[in-house]
Amino acid sequence: MGFEELYILYSPQVFRVCMGYINDYEHARDLTQETFIAVWQNLPSFQNRSKISTWIFRIATNNCLRAIERAGRIKTTELPYDVPTVQEESIEEKLVFLYSCIAELEETERIIISLLLEDLPQAEIAAIVGLGEGNVRVKIHRIKEKLAIKFKAHGIE
Amino acid sequence: MELNDLKKVWLSADTGSLPGAADMVRMIRKYRSSNLAKKIAMTIIAAVLTALMVFVVFSYKSVMLTTRIGEALIIMAGLLLIISNARSLGRLHRVKDHTNKEFLSYLMQVQRNRLKYYKTTQVAGLLLASSGLLLYIYEAVSANLLLLCVAYVALAAWLYVNWFVIRPRAYRRQAMKLQATIDKASSISKQL
Repeated sequence: MGFEELYILYSPQVFRVCMGYINDYEHARDLTQETFIAVWQNLPSFQNRSKISTWIFRIATNNCLRAIERAGRIKTTELPYDVPTVQEESIEEKLVFLYSCIAELEETERIIISLLLEDLPQAEIAAIVGLGEGNVRVKIHRIKEKLAIKFKAHGIE
Repeated sequence: MELNDLKKVWLSADTGSLPGAADMVRMIRKYRSSNLAKKIAMTIIAAVLTALMVFVVFSYKSVMLTTRIGEALIIMAGLLLIISNARSLGRLHRVKDHTNKEFLSYLMQVQRNRLKYYKTTQVAGLLLASSGLLLYIYEAVSANLLLLCVAYVALAAWLYVNWFVIRPRAYRRQAMKLQATIDKASSISKQL
């Protein structure tokens, strides 16, 4: 598969994963571009030892982790825990709320939930993060519990 | 909310404003050439300056041993700068196929190496260049006592500012940044 095909296929996914991690639109765009710069530069030496999607998501999530070098804080929006929302929210509002919930998780949890929401199998998530499948399963369970508490506090069951 | 509902919300993110594939390729080409150019320019400048020094050694026949030693030390400092720049040039675009866990260890190691570079290689380079310069100018100014005094006071002042004001400040800033990254990477690593 050529670079342009890979870019068309994976850039929306990579962008969403970066957005899940960093919760900042411009920064997520930059991280997506940096990811594909690295993909372009290293594609000729890619040795098929892992799936190409695993390789791309490893580069993307490692780029996200590298953002700690810039020492910027991840945006977390204050959530109105005390006042449950009753009215129906638009999908955009739900998305903003989802991002802010994810932003409150630990760094590796943000990566895991973003990859899960991209529909990646747990085995592939384990191969990207570098944990055993069992460990990933436990972490996913905990993340879901944490998110459920946040949603409940916001009036979403 | 079920996972499938979350996925539906998740997938609603607008990705339409991402650059198209052709634009991306254009941007990459531009990025690659500008970044590479900076590193190559630094290496070339260091190489030209070192070559100039070598040229001076062979064209200007110095009498005093201090000049010869000074020339050798300055050339060594230049070579050190060229080697460390050329080595980082090789690492500029290489991406290893690391898992997040491996990457965090790698990131910590890279930061530790940088700290070590500031503590050792950079100090060695500066030491070679400073002592080389002090020895090198002696022959040129030794005939005139006033000139000797003025040249050495000026050089000593310049070296003092470099060693005791500029370098410690830059080192403190860099070291703090690197240590903060190491600490943060270490705390993320503990999550895994």
